[in-house]
Amino acid sequence: MSQHAAGNDGPAQREPLGGTLLDVVDLQVRYGAITAIKGISFHVREREIVALLGANGAGKTTTQKTVSGMLRPSVGSITFAGQRIDGIPPHELIDLGVCHVPEGRHVFPRMTVEENLEMGAFRFRSPDRDLLAHVLDLFPRLKERFSQQAGTLSGGEQQMLAIGRALMGKPRLLLLDEPSMGLAPLIVEQIFQIVRGINQDGMSVLLVEQNARQALTLADRGYVLETGELVLSGTGRELLSDDRIRAAYLGEELAS
Amino acid sequence: MKKLSLPPVVGRLLACLAGGVVLAMMVGTQQGSQQDYGLSFREAVLDVRIVWFLLLGLLVFVVITYKDLVTPYLQRPGVRPLVAGVLVLIASFFLLTWYDPLSDGKFGAFADAVTGTPQIAPLARAFFGWLWLVGLIGVPVLIAVAIVLRVRVLAWVAAVVAVVVGVLAVVADSTAGDFAGGIDHSFGSVVALLGFLVLAFAAGVVARSTKEVATPTEFLERVMAYRPGLPLVVVGLVLGLLSLTGATWLAPTGDNLTLVDTSALFEGSDLDGLSAAVLGWLAYVLLVVVLAAAGAAVWLRSKPLGLAAAGLAVVSVLLVLITLHGISSTAAEAGYGSGDGPWQNLGTGGWVLCIGLFLIGAGAVVAALQDVLPATAAVSSDAAPVTGSGRLHAAARSTTGRSLALFAVGLALFYPPTANQFWQQSLTTTIGVYVLLAVGLNVVIGWAGLLDLGFIAFYAIGSYTTAYLTGSLPVQPPSWLLLSPLWAIPVAILICLIAGVLLGAPTLRLRGDYLAIVTLGFGEIIRIVAVNNPGEFTNGPRGVATPVPHPVIDLGFIRIEWGNSSLQYWYLLLILLAIVLIFFYRLEGSRLGRSWAAVREDEVAAQATGVNTTRVKLLAFAIGASTSGLAGVFFGSQVGYFNPQNFVLNNSILIVAYVVFGGMGSLVGAIAGAAALTWLPEFLRDQVPAEDRTMWIGAVLLVMMIFRPQGLIPARRRKAELTGLAGHDGSVRPGIQAVPASEGT
Repeated sequence: MSQHAAGNDGPAQREPLGGTLLDVVDLQVRYGAITAIKGISFHVREREIVALLGANGAGKTTTQKTVSGMLRPSVGSITFAGQRIDGIPPHELIDLGVCHVPEGRHVFPRMTVEENLEMGAFRFRSPDRDLLAHVLDLFPRLKERFSQQAGTLSGGEQQMLAIGRALMGKPRLLLLDEPSMGLAPLIVEQIFQIVRGINQDGMSVLLVEQNARQALTLADRGYVLETGELVLSGTGRELLSDDRIRAAYLGEELAS
Repeated sequence: MKKLSLPPVVGRLLACLAGGVVLAMMVGTQQGSQQDYGLSFREAVLDVRIVWFLLLGLLVFVVITYKDLVTPYLQRPGVRPLVAGVLVLIASFFLLTWYDPLSDGKFGAFADAVTGTPQIAPLARAFFGWLWLVGLIGVPVLIAVAIVLRVRVLAWVAAVVAVVVGVLAVVADSTAGDFAGGIDHSFGSVVALLGFLVLAFAAGVVARSTKEVATPTEFLERVMAYRPGLPLVVVGLVLGLLSLTGATWLAPTGDNLTLVDTSALFEGSDLDGLSAAVLGWLAYVLLVVVLAAAGAAVWLRSKPLGLAAAGLAVVSVLLVLITLHGISSTAAEAGYGSGDGPWQNLGTGGWVLCIGLFLIGAGAVVAALQDVLPATAAVSSDAAPVTGSGRLHAAARSTTGRSLALFAVGLALFYPPTANQFWQQSLTTTIGVYVLLAVGLNVVIGWAGLLDLGFIAFYAIGSYTTAYLTGSLPVQPPSWLLLSPLWAIPVAILICLIAGVLLGAPTLRLRGDYLAIVTLGFGEIIRIVAVNNPGEFTNGPRGVATPVPHPVIDLGFIRIEWGNSSLQYWYLLLILLAIVLIFFYRLEGSRLGRSWAAVREDEVAAQATGVNTTRVKLLAFAIGASTSGLAGVFFGSQVGYFNPQNFVLNNSILIVAYVVFGGMGSLVGAIAGAAALTWLPEFLRDQVPAEDRTMWIGAVLLVMMIFRPQGLIPARRRKAELTGLAGHDGSVRPGIQAVPASEGT
């Protein structure tokens, strides 16, 4: 399956990580009277994959929606490439290079795969044909389904289309919200391979996941959220071997 | 005790027969009273028609029981046009009037009268006596047998018989009608001819196909792709010949002058030379020259020839118009007929010649604009795989679309002058205005996907703005703001734009049902405000205080003044509609059009791809509202007088129905839907009892939504949504249904 750029070689073989790209400081988000995010700080460096982990309702998606501009923080700051971006609406954020792949594979069901990908390049006057060819190389399945309506694709193909569409906007930071949701393990594996490939081409990724094992294998670093607060952070490897993580998210019995 | 049980077949048979009895009772006279509940039942059962309805029940039973046997035949080529033709024929023989002067001018009454009159030519009597039954029953049976047994000869015979009986219908009807005299506006026989032509088409499909399963449009596309533009030229030629030979050119009361008669009448009068020449010989020459040029262009598929032919056609149409102006004004000056100015007392002939010339020219344009095709593709047999004919398919579709559009333009330009006063009035005040409104609402509902149930409010705002600016309301505008209706257009558009934004801004977070309810409330608020007459502004339920003046264009050297003639307004409306349509057509393919599509498909995804959803939705509201406002200006200045009753909720719902009926998201569909559904009630006035009128419209809507939920002329996307997946080459793969992604998780 790896006829594309993604390989199994570890993060060690790529360019070193750059400076801080996304810096979130003391972020609080409220839905009315409920505080969903209670002051968290984290950062993503250039060419880094960072995973946000947590159970249902921990605030992962809220965090990502806030970063992508769909929600406004009540306290705290979000800085992207040296510029404050909290409160900037999503359509302007895309021009800065932050593309969001929302939870639940939101593709345009009655548009063809081609039209979906072209919509991804909506911020440009016309879509970049070379980039389109590159995206289709990354996702050979989309090439097969090029003129088919997106609504008729399988769940995995729709997720690939959603990611491909975000790539068409030439982001510097890709926000992936639960790409593995509702997909077969084999497909999840494929998608994570592709994300790794994209990352090796130089893109930063902020990944929100419930599938902790997969996410941490892929990610350089991870943060663990619980009811709106950060409880743990560390490199992927550290977190994978952390007892609390293994008990709570990987479903392993503790030796003791 | 043993429970009585019937074999399922018997139960089904009884149910079907009972259904027939119920239908028979519904059709019968409803005279049941408190003393006698059984009257209606006896009426139904003791009448001969019970046999027909029981047979119908039996037929349904047979179809249900032997469905598996029947289904493969139903998919064969020609079945659909066969059914359509039979339905048209049933409508023409049992619903439509054939002869107006008779109080019940329906076929049955007229046929009895004709067959009982020995003086009428035997052919006509034969038709009304028994020949029509041969056509109505014999031809479909022949075609059905040909479909089942695959006998081509039989299909050809059926085609010929169908055409002959169809032509006979018109000939017999006009013979009998001429004999009986009187003014006859009915066109049952024309519809019968249409039905028989559809049957002939069905027979043609049967005779020319080799396939097992029909692709309904393919045969038609092959015909259209044979020589692009040819069908238009043929129709144009027929109309041209009609106008030169039979049609009346000048028709003051009591006189019906054909072209030759008219020419003779003006012999020696002071008619200008050009008009006299057209009447005498030039008309024939024009038709021949345009026809030759267009024919050559179509045959040789030549672009320069096509454009030249189109130019010739335009010149010819202008010459005919000059002639019409000449003869009508000369006749009026000479005191011939009742006219007191130009354009009066004209017959249909000149206008029909205009349509004919226009269509011939249009055919040439279609030929000039056609996509270049490999010569072999156009004649490929229907055995060719669908993928191979994809290009042919697309090309045929575009030429068919162009042909139909040009045909519609030709009719819109030259048909209204030939219509009577009633239809001219309906065309402008109802049909035209609602077409404009539907086109506007299509932006909101069809493109942006926002269900707006208060659309009529903007129409009201536009109308009242016009009334205010022209000084027709109790509150007079400051003198510098007193405008003529045409100048009110930009102001009204601006005000409706603002109103659209004002309604849109607070409601943008709402979706679907909630938005519908809020817009509904908005519509009612505007109407009730108009009724309540705040600050003596709207003059309350009485409507405008003084009539809104008619528009005037005064450029010094030329002065156009709109009066009470509906026809003048029709052309004003055409201009407005053309501007709006060109604007919207460009809009649909623009960035904004794509944003609307994205918002409609999935708002979250649209936001994620960088669409400013707030702005885009506001724009949809604003643009829709301003179109509605434009319609309001037109309406206000045309009728002169209106009141809040014109803006009731019902009208908002009707416009939504027009858009849905026509095909959501499709410009042509919105026009077709509004035109069809505003035309239908007017048409039904003469056809069905007054109290049944709305029921028939409801029935049409129901049937339409069951059998063609995507609407008359659906937008590409919506069509795919409802009929399964259309592949890239247009081939339909059954069984794959599009499911919105958001519902799949």
